[in-house]
Amino acid sequence: MTLEAYLLLALLLFSMGLYAVLARHNLIAILIGVELMLNAANINFLAFNYFLHLDPAMAQIIVLFVIGLAAAEAAIALAIILKLYRKHQSIDVDAMRELRG
Amino acid sequence: MNIAFTLPFAVIVIGAFLAVTRSNILHAVFGLAISLVGVAGAFLALGSPFTAVMEVLIYVGGIAVTMIFAVMLSSVSSPAERGGFLRKSLAALVAGLFLAGGSLIIVNADFGAGNHLSTDAWSIQAVGRDLLDRFNLAFESLSLVLLLAIVGAIVIVRREPVLPADQDDAPEEEAA
Repeated sequence: MTLEAYLLLALLLFSMGLYAVLARHNLIAILIGVELMLNAANINFLAFNYFLHLDPAMAQIIVLFVIGLAAAEAAIALAIILKLYRKHQSIDVDAMRELRG
Repeated sequence: MNIAFTLPFAVIVIGAFLAVTRSNILHAVFGLAISLVGVAGAFLALGSPFTAVMEVLIYVGGIAVTMIFAVMLSSVSSPAERGGFLRKSLAALVAGLFLAGGSLIIVNADFGAGNHLSTDAWSIQAVGRDLLDRFNLAFESLSLVLLLAIVGAIVIVRREPVLPADQDDAPEEEAA
């Protein structure tokens, strides 16, 4: 397959993640959308490196770093979600109105 | 059509569709896991088995399972979706515009010659050598970030002591 096919796949995945972030009420569903977007970026890194003959190991290392940072981000986000659930008995983003956002 | 591309493509799109549309949050997490297995397949097709294994290990084995735990702990009695249709259609409009514009750019762009890498350039040996050589600082900082994230998550979810019974250990834990 060509580079463009993989880029379009990643773009489709990113758009679905964007839709989830914009449309969902549930904080965990929004986190799922963010994870989808990160994975789309990972596919892009590997596709560019595979098809354009760049550095031999660079893309894999970037992808590993992104996966590790995503793990840290998910841990923090889920901790915040649990704390918010204890405080508000809900993880609906529309219930978080204390800052009048 | 190339099966090494179409099979991960189908798995990714079906899983992501489930993850994005199901209103039951547990089904959405399972859709995310399916989609991530498809992403690992795409990594495999792009000649990088090591990152594919790491994707399955960390994402499906770690993040998705942690999300399921969070779903169970926050026992989602999902509230009625208020103003759902307008919000959904607006989000679909934005995402669709993004998709259309991005695909227009990708189709019209010129990325240069597309010659494949030889497979031995993608070996685990090269990754390991670079992780401990060229990217050693980033590698160690990442381990520090992960440690701080774990400690921070524990501190965030720690229950506040209801009674001021044991004042001796509380300030020390806050300082740590």
